[in-house]
Amino acid sequence: MSTIIVLSQIAVRNLFSNFLNIVIGLIILIGTLLFVVGGSVLNSIDSAMSRSITGSVAGNIQVYSDKSKDELALFGNWTTPDLTVISDFSKIKGALQSVDNVKAVIPMGVDGASVTYGNTLDQTLEKLRSSENSRLKGDSSKDLADQIESLKSHVRQIVSIIQNDYKKLTVMSSKQAVDIESERDLARAASPTFWSRFDSDPLGSLEFLENKISSLVPDADMIFLPYIGTDLDSFQKSFDRMEIVDGQMVLEGHRGILLSKYQYENQFKLKIAYRLDKINEALTEEGKKITQDPDLQLMIKQNRTQTREIILQLDPLKAQKMVNLLQDYLKSNDTETAKLLSEFFDTNDQDFSDRYKFFYSEMAPLVDLYRLKPGDTITIKAFTKSGFVQSVNLKIYGTFQFKGLEKSGLAGGVSLMDLMSFRDLYGYVTPEKIAEAKQLEQEVGVNFVDREKAESELFGGYSSVSNVKQETINDQKELGDAKANSINQSLISRQYSKDEIEKGVVLNAAIILKDPTRIGQTMKDIGDISKKNGLNLRVVTWQKAAGQIGQFVFVAKAALYFAVFIIFIVALVIINNAVMMATLQRIREIGTMRAIGAQRTFVLALVLIETIFLGLVFGSMGMLLGAIVVKWLGIKGIGAFNEFLYFFFSGPRLYVTLELGSLIGAFIIICVVTSISALYPAIIATRVSPLQAMQTEE
Amino acid sequence: MSCIFTTHCDHTPDNCTGDFYSCLTYISIIKHLNNSENIKEVPVTQNLAQKSPHKIVTISNVNKEYNLGKVIVPALININLSFDAGDFISIAGPSGSGKTTLLNLIGCVDTATSGQVIIDGHDTMTLRERQLTDLRLNTIGFIFQSFNLMSVLNVFENVEFPLLLQQKLSLSDRRNRVKELLEKVGLDKHVKHRPSELSGGQRQRVAIARALVTRPKIILADEPTANLDSKTGETIIDLMREMNRLEKTTFIFSTHDAKVMSHANSVVKLADGQIVAPDHQIVTNNDHRPDE
Repeated sequence: MSTIIVLSQIAVRNLFSNFLNIVIGLIILIGTLLFVVGGSVLNSIDSAMSRSITGSVAGNIQVYSDKSKDELALFGNWTTPDLTVISDFSKIKGALQSVDNVKAVIPMGVDGASVTYGNTLDQTLEKLRSSENSRLKGDSSKDLADQIESLKSHVRQIVSIIQNDYKKLTVMSSKQAVDIESERDLARAASPTFWSRFDSDPLGSLEFLENKISSLVPDADMIFLPYIGTDLDSFQKSFDRMEIVDGQMVLEGHRGILLSKYQYENQFKLKIAYRLDKINEALTEEGKKITQDPDLQLMIKQNRTQTREIILQLDPLKAQKMVNLLQDYLKSNDTETAKLLSEFFDTNDQDFSDRYKFFYSEMAPLVDLYRLKPGDTITIKAFTKSGFVQSVNLKIYGTFQFKGLEKSGLAGGVSLMDLMSFRDLYGYVTPEKIAEAKQLEQEVGVNFVDREKAESELFGGYSSVSNVKQETINDQKELGDAKANSINQSLISRQYSKDEIEKGVVLNAAIILKDPTRIGQTMKDIGDISKKNGLNLRVVTWQKAAGQIGQFVFVAKAALYFAVFIIFIVALVIINNAVMMATLQRIREIGTMRAIGAQRTFVLALVLIETIFLGLVFGSMGMLLGAIVVKWLGIKGIGAFNEFLYFFFSGPRLYVTLELGSLIGAFIIICVVTSISALYPAIIATRVSPLQAMQTEE
Repeated sequence: MSCIFTTHCDHTPDNCTGDFYSCLTYISIIKHLNNSENIKEVPVTQNLAQKSPHKIVTISNVNKEYNLGKVIVPALININLSFDAGDFISIAGPSGSGKTTLLNLIGCVDTATSGQVIIDGHDTMTLRERQLTDLRLNTIGFIFQSFNLMSVLNVFENVEFPLLLQQKLSLSDRRNRVKELLEKVGLDKHVKHRPSELSGGQRQRVAIARALVTRPKIILADEPTANLDSKTGETIIDLMREMNRLEKTTFIFSTHDAKVMSHANSVVKLADGQIVAPDHQIVTNNDHRPDE
C-alpha cells in the first residue's frame, strides 16, 4: 500500500515537471481528442446512413429466395441482380409476421427498364393529333381552334429549323451525305401548300409528319430506369424516409409510378436548366468559381451551344416573346433566338446569379422544364425474365425522394412502382391479364401457343387449336394498338385489393423490426421459421442488401479505422521514444532508488504508473475536449460541401452525437497505448544499475 | 595502556567494555578526533579485527577488475579489511585509487571479481540481486557526493522514501521517525521544501537523514563533502560524527580531503587499488599524502 502511495506521489509530481512529459501528454491529448471526435463522427455517419438506408428501402432485414444466383442489391450494382422469384408473398408474410420482433413485411421486386419518350416533334404532333380528334368529334370552341393553330405553327417552326439544319449540312458536306429523300420530305412539310391543305386532311398530314419528319428530329432519348416494385401503401407507411416532392402519392391500390426526384432532375429535366442548377449549386454551396473550374466552364460552353432543346420547344409566338425578353435583358438588337440564347448562357461569376434568376422567372415559363410531368403516362419497356420485351403504360403520380439520399446517384436513382405493374414487366401473369388475354382470344381469334411448340404450330402446317396452355410466364403479346390502349386505360384506373397485391410474385421482402438492436436474434428466428416452413429464404442485413451503398459504408468505416490504427501506431512509437528519453534522463534518479533499496519491480511499476497516469490525465483532458467539440458539432453540424459527403452524412448537415462507446473506446485505447509504449522503457529502467547513483557528474 | 578502541580512552584493555558506543569516554574521544591535532595515532581496524566481537564488514582477498574491452584494469588488488560496528572510518586516497570501488563493494551495488565480502554476516558474493537489494534497504544507508535527492519529493518525503520501500512501519511511526531525524539534522523547519529550494549543505543533511531513517547498521558516504564548501563540509562531517554517536551507526566515508579525513577514528589509505601504509597498523593524519 505504502509503495503505491509513493509511486502515485512520484507520478503526480512528475506530471508537469518534465518537458518531455508535457510532449507525451499533448500527443495523448490530441490522440484522444481525435479518437473521440473521429469515432463520434464515424458513428454518427454510420447511424445517419443506417437510418436513411433502413428507412428508405432496405428495412432492417431483407429476405429473398435462397435459390437466387446473385446477391440482392437494392440500390443496384449497375446491373439488376438475378434473383429467383418468391411465388407467393402472402405465405412469406404470414410466416414472418409470426416472428416476435417483426413489425412489418413489405413485398418488393428490384428491376430496371428502359423508357423512351418521343422527341419534341413527336410530342407536339401528339398534342395536335388529340386536338384534331376533339375537333373531328365536334368540338368547335374557339379555344380549341386557337390551340390547334398554335400547335400547327409550332410544328412549322420545328420543320423550318430542321430544314435549316439540313441546308447547313449540305453546304458543309458533299451532296451524297445528305439523304435526298429526307430533304424532299422536309421541303414538302415546310411548303405553304402542305399547310394550306392540312385542315382538309389533318390525320393524313399528321401521319406524314409522324412517319417522315419526326425521325429527322434528333432530340429523342432513352433512359434506363431502375425501379422497385412494391406495395406502395404499406411502403409509405413503413419507410419514413420516403417523401413525395412533386405531384402526389399513387392512389391506394392503383397502378402507377413515382419517379425518383434525382433521376427526374438528372434525366427528365431540360439539360440547360439542369446544368444551370449544377453551376448554381457549385457557386453558392461549394464556393467554386467559374474562372477556376474547367467543369463549370464546360457546362457553360454546352449551354451556349446546345440551345436547340429550347428553340425546338418554342412556337412562333413564344419564340418572339423569348427574343423580346433577351433583347431587353442583353440590350441587344439581334433577332436570332439561337444567338441571343447563346449570348445569354455565356455567363461568368459576376452575372451568373442574376441570369439564373432571370432564366427561371422569365424564360422558363415559355418552355417545358421537364419532359414528363406528374399526370403524364410513360411507357416502360422491360425485358421479361424469359428475355422478351414487355411494355406497360404507367401514370406518373409524382416524384419522391428518400430523405438523406436525395443527392446520391446510386441510392436516389431508384423509382417506385406498384407491384402489379412490376409483375407485368417482370413477365408474370396477373389473373386479370389472363382474363384480358382470354377476352382478346375470343375477340381476335388467337390462341396461346406453348413456346416449345411455337415453331411446329406456326410452320408445321398442322395447328392444334385446342392445345392451349396457361403459362406462368407471359411473353410479349402482339396486340392491336387501340385495344392495348383501352386495356391500359382501364388498368390505370383499376383499384386492387390488398389480397390481390399480396398473393403473387415478389423477388424480395423488406422486414422492419420493432427493436433494431435485436437484429441478430431476429435474423436467426427468421432463418428457423424459413427452414421450418420450407420457404427457402436467404436472410441478409440491410448493409448486405443495400449492395454498393452498404459496401461504401463498410469501406468508409474500414478506411477510418485504418487511419485510427495508423495514428495508434504512430502515437505508440512517439510515446515510446519520448518515455525512453524521459527514462534515460532519470538514470541517476532510478540508480539512487535502486541503491537505496528499491527492487526492480518498483522501478518497473514506477515508469508504467507514471506513463499510464500521464495518459489518464491528458487522456481525460482529451476526452473532455473531444466531448465538448462533439457537442459543439452536434449543435452546429458539419456541412456537406459536396455530394459525396452529402451521401455519407445522409443530408446537408451531419449533427454529431456523443456516444458512450467512443469515450469508453478512447479510455481503453489510452490505457493500451500508454502501457504498451511504456513497457519497453520500463524494462530498460529496471536494468539501471544502482552504480549509476554513484556517478558524480551534475 | 588504553582501552581496545583508542589511546585517548582512560580504560585499560582489561576493563574495556568491548563496545565502542558504551565506551565511557567516547565523547572525549570524539572531541579529540574533531581536533585533528589531537590525533596522534589511529588504530587500523584490521588490526583490531581479532579483538572485536562484532565485525560489521569483513573483506577478504578481494580483487576487482574492470574489463575495458581488451584491457583489464585492476581496481582493487587483494584487499583484506574488516570494520567493527559503530566505527567512523575514512577511506582515503587519490582519484582512481579504488575508494569508490571499495565503497561500492561494501554497499552491495557492485560485486567483486574474486574474494569475499561479508556484510552484517551475509556473504554478498552468494546473494541474489533481490537479496542484495534487500540488504541495501535494511542494512546500509547511502550518502552521495551529489546528494541524489528526488527533486519531485519534498524534504519530508525524501527522508520517508526508504521507509515506504521497507513497508515495516505504520503511518504514525513513519511520521515520527522522519520528524525526529529531521529535528536531529536541524531541518524540521524545512519539511515542505523541495530539494531545489535548499542549499547544498541542507541537501546533504536531508541525505543524511534519509540514510539514517531505516536505522541501518552501516552508512556509506562517497565523498560527502566534495560538492560543498569547506565550512559546510566541516559541519556535515560533524553531523555525521554526531549521528555516529547518537545512532551508533557505522560510518564509512571516502574522501581525499585531509581535514575531513582527520575526523575519522581510523583511515584506510588506498593507492593504486591497494591498501598502503606498512601493515596498515597505524595511519595518522600526518602520514596522509595529498592527492595527486
